Amino acid sequence: MAGVQVGKRIIGADAPVIVGWENIGRVQGGPVKQFVFTYFQPAMLFAAILFWYYAPNWLAVASTAIAIRLGWMILLLALEWVNPRYESWQLTWKEFATDAFYVGLGMTFLGMVDAYIGDGVIIKAVQGVFDWEKFSWFTGLPLLLQAVLISMIFDFGQYWMHRAMHNWYPLWLTHAPHHYITQLNINKGAVGNPIELFLIGLGIGGLFDFLPRAFLLAGAIGMTVSVYQHINVRFNTPRWWRFIFNTVEHHSVHHSQDYEATRSNYSGTWIIWDRIFGTCVDGEAEVLGMEGGRRMHIGETMIFPFREGWRSTKAALDKRFGRGANPQLQTAQMEPAE
Amino acid sequence: MSGTSGGIASETTGPWGAAPSPERPAGLPTMRVPLIDHIWRVRGDVPIDPLLAPEEVFARLDPLLRTPGTAVRAEGGTLTYSKDNPAAQDKLATFTCGQLRIERVGAGAVLRFDLFSHALLLCFLAPLLFLGFAQMAVAINAWEGAGADASEKAEKKDEKPKPVKVLNPVDQFLGAPAPEDPNKKKKDEKKDEGRHSPDEGYFMAGVFALIYLVGRWLEPWLVRRRFRAALANPPAAG
Repeated sequence: MAGVQVGKRIIGADAPVIVGWENIGRVQGGPVKQFVFTYFQPAMLFAAILFWYYAPNWLAVASTAIAIRLGWMILLLALEWVNPRYESWQLTWKEFATDAFYVGLGMTFLGMVDAYIGDGVIIKAVQGVFDWEKFSWFTGLPLLLQAVLISMIFDFGQYWMHRAMHNWYPLWLTHAPHHYITQLNINKGAVGNPIELFLIGLGIGGLFDFLPRAFLLAGAIGMTVSVYQHINVRFNTPRWWRFIFNTVEHHSVHHSQDYEATRSNYSGTWIIWDRIFGTCVDGEAEVLGMEGGRRMHIGETMIFPFREGWRSTKAALDKRFGRGANPQLQTAQMEPAE
Repeated sequence: MSGTSGGIASETTGPWGAAPSPERPAGLPTMRVPLIDHIWRVRGDVPIDPLLAPEEVFARLDPLLRTPGTAVRAEGGTLTYSKDNPAAQDKLATFTCGQLRIERVGAGAVLRFDLFSHALLLCFLAPLLFLGFAQMAVAINAWEGAGADASEKAEKKDEKPKPVKVLNPVDQFLGAPAPEDPNKKKKDEKKDEGRHSPDEGYFMAGVFALIYLVGRWLEPWLVRRRFRAALANPPAAG
């Protein structure tokens, strides 16, 4: 495969990747369908912002956000059914059940663990070290600006954590299971080893003093932007949107079977971080996964970082002390890929 | 006839994978538990053309079985398959092993299938796991609650009044509701029920019960439809 040169890199040499907006697919169908799937994303973003901006205090609470999110997920599942991007990504009962397991694990067990070692606890521990009162003027900023700042600060942290996961082997071991997915559906963001899900969820936004409503607004931006990175829906996303925000097109490139392509598009919500740091590739891919698309089941996902970490350490020790490399262990080692 | 059927691939590769294929199909697990095994087993039949030879019937099913990680063995009128962690794109992914048997019924013939699903079994058991997480939340809350009362009293003494936040003039002009006074105590404030909520665990247990019921109905319906569609189409020449 020849691939396409993007900057100094060749994208799509190992597996098919479409590079360039002019080459990606368009919504097929009549004018109503074209209209809906062109303006759905911005319309929902503005609706969510308006709701959280004007909702009375009794309604602007976390439980409302959870209820809206549930309804939102059901709506997006319906869209995946009506207008899928690729047939090979179409959600099956078994895949839905598998994804639901990871979502449930995040909501229950990991939530409990997070209460002891999550970012909230870390922030509380370091809050006494600095005089954070100096940042209290943040609460006087316009609400939308606060919300954008919260979202961008969180995503900035996520960008570098994600990039580190693709470039430092111990972190890669935690992130690799997420790259064995061969489809993108709205719940696929929850699929992965629990250690990775914990690390990627760490944010520094809580360090600063923002208004509660600004946090809800930032959550609404996340819900109506970053949720699309794992969606199997064909949209005619507006140019301005895909310049600023991450899209499923960007994220499918990141998940493709092409090694160089996976080393791009690290951000969760704001693709402009990738544009600023030179890792953005505009395009899309259908054939996703690792090791030629091998499916990783739940059990292997849970033990993968420990098993591979043990094998790599053992192989390194054997090499260091000249005990003769075990060919079986060598084949188990993998190159970090996004 | 015995051995691997000529038209059925026992080891195949594709864009979604080249998973290692078991050498011989394991067939259905030997454990037979009447009634209870309805949880994970699906049995049924689809009518077939009685004039078709078994080889022809199995050749028509070949596209469904020619997937990465699938081992197939056909002996006479019986075909057994087993899948090793099938890909998400595999049409029979839910049923990891199964037996298909051609039977004469009067003047006609049917293809009887007896399929085993790890996914259905695990989904059936999943509510227990999430109920366990819910109970874990309750137990941790009770354990932590024992030592919490004393520290709560100590904390109350040095409570300082919190500053009241004011909206930016732009937001005031646009009519956003002002933030609440953090010093005002809510009348309906409930007693602290602990750090963890068991509700998510109960919710997910319910979700998995629903997923199981939907899957137990949907997947047999889909597999019957797929067998029927495959059997209606002669295999492509060559």
